[in-house]
Amino acid sequence: MKVRFENVSMKYDGNDRTILDDMSFDIQDHSLVSILGPSGCGKSTTLMLISGLLMPTDGKIFFGDTDVTKKDANARKVGMVFQNYALYPHLSVIDNIMFPLKMAGVNKKKRKERALELAELVQISEHLNKKPGQLSGGQQQRVAIARALSKEPSILLMDEPLSNLDAKLRKGMREEIRRIQKETGVTTVFVTHDQEEALSISDKVMVLNEGLIQQHSGPQALYDRPDNIFVAQFLGSPEISTFDFDDLKAGFDSSLRDRLQSKDVKLIGIRPESFTQVDGESGLITGVVDRIEIVGKERTVRLKLDNEQIVDITDVDINFTEGDKVSFTTNFDAMHFFDGYGNRVVIKDAE
Amino acid sequence: MQNRKTWKTTFQAFWYILPLFIIIGVFNIYPIIKSFAMAFYNDYNIFTGETSGYGLTSFETLFSDQEFAESLMNTFVYVLFVTPLSIVISLAISILLNNVNFLKPLFQSIYFLPFVTSTVAISIVWRWLYHSNYGLINYLLGIFGIDSINWLTNPDWAMPAAIIMAIWKSLGFNILLFLVGLNNISKTYYDAARIDGANAWQRFTNVTVPLLGPTIFLVSILSIINNFKVFDEIYALFNGQPGPSNSTITVVYYLYKKFYTEFDYGVASASGIVLFLIIFVITLIQLWMNKRFVHYR
Amino acid sequence: MASVSKKIIIYVLLGIGALTMIIPFYWMIATSLKTAGEATAMPPIWWPVSMVFSNYVEAFQVAPFVRYLVNSVIVTALSTLGEVLTAILAAFAFARLNFYGKDVLFALLLATMMVPGELLIIPNFVTLANLDWINTYMALIVPWLASVLSVFIVKQRFESISDNLYYAAKIDGCSDFRFLWQVLVPLSRSSIITMVVLKVIGSWNAFLWPLLVTNDTEMRTLPVGLQAFTTEAGTRFELLMAASTFVIVPMIVFYMIFQKYIIKGIANTGTKG
Repeated sequence: MKVRFENVSMKYDGNDRTILDDMSFDIQDHSLVSILGPSGCGKSTTLMLISGLLMPTDGKIFFGDTDVTKKDANARKVGMVFQNYALYPHLSVIDNIMFPLKMAGVNKKKRKERALELAELVQISEHLNKKPGQLSGGQQQRVAIARALSKEPSILLMDEPLSNLDAKLRKGMREEIRRIQKETGVTTVFVTHDQEEALSISDKVMVLNEGLIQQHSGPQALYDRPDNIFVAQFLGSPEISTFDFDDLKAGFDSSLRDRLQSKDVKLIGIRPESFTQVDGESGLITGVVDRIEIVGKERTVRLKLDNEQIVDITDVDINFTEGDKVSFTTNFDAMHFFDGYGNRVVIKDAE
Repeated sequence: MQNRKTWKTTFQAFWYILPLFIIIGVFNIYPIIKSFAMAFYNDYNIFTGETSGYGLTSFETLFSDQEFAESLMNTFVYVLFVTPLSIVISLAISILLNNVNFLKPLFQSIYFLPFVTSTVAISIVWRWLYHSNYGLINYLLGIFGIDSINWLTNPDWAMPAAIIMAIWKSLGFNILLFLVGLNNISKTYYDAARIDGANAWQRFTNVTVPLLGPTIFLVSILSIINNFKVFDEIYALFNGQPGPSNSTITVVYYLYKKFYTEFDYGVASASGIVLFLIIFVITLIQLWMNKRFVHYR
Repeated sequence: MASVSKKIIIYVLLGIGALTMIIPFYWMIATSLKTAGEATAMPPIWWPVSMVFSNYVEAFQVAPFVRYLVNSVIVTALSTLGEVLTAILAAFAFARLNFYGKDVLFALLLATMMVPGELLIIPNFVTLANLDWINTYMALIVPWLASVLSVFIVKQRFESISDNLYYAAKIDGCSDFRFLWQVLVPLSRSSIITMVVLKVIGSWNAFLWPLLVTNDTEMRTLPVGLQAFTTEAGTRFELLMAASTFVIVPMIVFYMIFQKYIIKGIANTGTKG
């Protein structure tokens, strides 16, 4: 099912703090979309608004062509996986999976059939009669997914579903979620604060900050072509380095400098892996090597520029030691240009 | 982790628990044994301690006593009405309270007031409220066109009067425990149930009731035991009498009467033992039901 | 909006319930301030017109309520103090020390909680009669100097305090006894206050036992004195209500002050016990 938000705003009663401000977006049918952002950015609220557990203060929400703004969670027929799974502790695994069907008045035989089918899908069949308390986190997660899918939801919502799992399990479950989503084809909205999670499983990612959509695009575009400085800085580790245009302009040839100036470029972002070393001090940036950190195959060089700015650089051959003065440059394509408001400025490479 | 036990630590611990055990030993443990013994004495003379041997005379007298049968009957009626009604009403009030924030502490304090007040004093107040001519209750009933009821003097109405007051008095305590129980149920279960298509009533039966199971169990066991021991309410409400023409005599009242006004210690002890056994059996049944039906997280 | 009307219904229902709870108290106080004529007026007078305090004066003249009050205060204070001491000491032994017979003794304590106190009154009465304590403060106080439930409450709290604190104190050269009074007890203040508050309420309102062991007017506690007063007051309900108010109000004031502890205490013992 397609989901559309039209100018949706959300304020909680009591305080006038705006959680979401005039939000509009489309989610395509059969796709998996992640909502990514730091805590308090409004991503869980967005999910709650899709679910119908919360109603927006303003704006309209559509499922397909139907206006569901005033409809409650039940009428919207969404499935949801909660952060702590919220499995009914007094019901067995199979009863948990059958619960939504029972509420919908499906007869017992059909309920059971469907539940067994889903248990198969999420690979939990050997634990059907256990109580949630007897299952591991990963198993509970699978049950929660099966329960959410059992009534064939129009949309599957997942609220930080992996945050309670340990790191290793998280990666496996991530792929599982992707597999289950592909197999069932259900439109899925996935909320997370973990960029790796979002980028690895989604068709599209929506980055949210302070109640505003920062960028809504494919995962690779997010990294390669961030719409603004927030997205550029939020994604990638170590963080992208940003330079004042004035600090770098000496290193540009005059035609490029003029073009950047004419487009009001104020900030330039360069990712740590995009630097290459040059001889002497002929590079775009030159500084003293402050620290070299080698963890396994990861090498990070921390460079301190003359103006005290710290720049993290990765993926370079290390033929210098701490205290050396080294110079780096980068190529034009690796530079991200932003104007004074932090928005991306597109500059075509001239020659 | 604790130290290993040695005779030294035992000697040390001895002094810490001595004061408690002197009191508990003399006034709890010894009397338990003693009252079993007394119940099986034949013709016990309390002042000389003389007895003509052991036997079941006291129990024979007890079970052939019509008054004891009545007191048992009355106690069961009392328990059977007060416990479930109080639980249902207090559960309903707790759920309502759980749905509001404004004034919640005030409401909670008001509902809890009867718990801290002297049963005797408040029973005397109710005696006044129940007064057949000048009582507030009959006046209020009169507004709705209901004839005056002789609450405290008509044997048919005496028990209902005691039951109504007991429910009124017991609500606060139960509400408090239910609120704690409700508070322990995470809101996500309700969100999940909503998503799963459960309406308000289905959420109550499928989330609230099962997850509140341990609390409901606890409240019911506490109130049943407590209600079986009813005495103060009856004594004060009917001015020292067990109701008009003995209509509200309870087991503890019977025990009190045999002991304090008739000096029949053997029968009094026997009735105490019967009370103990009833409570014991009910506790066992409830523990069994608890295991069977109540889910603990 | 639907939720607004739902809220209104909830508040109306809660309001009706609260009114039902509070009317007996209101009626008690209102009646205590009425003249005999006003008290028995039909339809009832909701707000006492003459606001007389003479009922209190008269009640105090007819029965020695001040003496009852003194008795109640003495009995409540001493039995509470004793119970706190015995409970703290025993709880420490059960929570911190390891000794022979610990499990058996604890099981024995548990078992005594199963037995209804009413079963104990006859042998206890006999014991006190043999000690010649009937009609004395001893009879009113001594049997209530210890309570298994209190031991549980305090023990539970002591056990929740980290062992490391005990070892640290030991290293600092603190004896067990000093550790108990200078570390455990202050840290368990709120549990102990809870226990005290529940004990005070129970002791103040106790009826059956004081009724049995006091024959003398001089030795009565407030509830017993109040019950006896009903004979003297007869149908003078304005006097009875004045006396009832006198018994009830101290506990209500006490409740208002310690409400937090009462609620927390019952919640804790209720959910854990």
